[in-house]
Amino acid sequence: MRRVLAALLCLGLVQLYGYDPAHLKKLLEEKECIGCDLRGADLRDIDFSGWDLSKSDFSHANVSRSIFVMADLNEANLSDANATESVFWKGTMERADLTRIHAQGANFKGTHLNGSNLSFADLRGTKSWKANFTDAVLRKTDFTDAELGDAKFIRNDLRSSKLIRTLLWKTHFSDVKMTKAQCAHAKKEEALLDSNVTCR
Amino acid sequence: MIKLLIVGCLTVMGLSAAPIQSDKEFQQAVQKMGKENKLVLMIYTADDCPECAYMKQKVFHDKTVEPFLNRHFVVMEKNVHRSSLPDGYDYFGIPTMFFIDKAGVNKETLVGSKRPKPFLEALHSVLGKK
Repeated sequence: MRRVLAALLCLGLVQLYGYDPAHLKKLLEEKECIGCDLRGADLRDIDFSGWDLSKSDFSHANVSRSIFVMADLNEANLSDANATESVFWKGTMERADLTRIHAQGANFKGTHLNGSNLSFADLRGTKSWKANFTDAVLRKTDFTDAELGDAKFIRNDLRSSKLIRTLLWKTHFSDVKMTKAQCAHAKKEEALLDSNVTCR
Repeated sequence: MIKLLIVGCLTVMGLSAAPIQSDKEFQQAVQKMGKENKLVLMIYTADDCPECAYMKQKVFHDKTVEPFLNRHFVVMEKNVHRSSLPDGYDYFGIPTMFFIDKAGVNKETLVGSKRPKPFLEALHSVLGKK
């Protein structure tokens, strides 16, 4: 009985995260897919550079080691996606849902993450030089060992996020809430904190 | 006129595709070494590259890195938008660092910036391959 229940549960989960095969076909053939359902799809090691993937749902998908250089992921959903070692270099991910994304070692260099939700995101060891985090939601975001040099943080609350050994050389902080320890670390790293930053 | 343009393009391509041994800056770097058996660290940079600035201003001058770097390497910089790049030294990202011996053989390539400690470890590893 337990096995049957487990099997049903598994089937239910597959259904829950199942992508639309027609959308996957369109994605790979037309090299763009706006508002597509790609939930749970296996999209590892694919080059999506320059493709328009805005408003598409990649939740629970596996996009690890895939390349999204200058891709449009505005308003896309990558919640719970596996984006380990993926490259989002110079892409746009504005207002994207990136909650609980697993992006260890990924590259967000120059990526526009304005207004995106990065709550509970695993960004350990990521390279996000010059990335823009303006208005991003950063609840319990893990930036351990990440490189955020010259990145922009404007109107964020970082107090619940981890900034352990995070590289913050010339990182801009404006109108941001931080803990005292985070502020001390940022100053030691030669980050640029304006007068609107609160350190409590 | 078209012929002139083609000749001009070929000349530019010829200049940018010269081997490392005939690169003026490389020759100067080798001269600096004298009889010492150092390696040339050729770093590709760009104007709008904070990672490059971090390597040049912070890491290369870090108190643990700088003495070791000066003892075993001669640093040479090439701005990818303003310098002619030697043949066989292509790049994917900036900064890219090439470690080249006197004969012009590339021993190792590093892409991206590194914190002082891992960079120093990388330098040790490169020397081990010399």
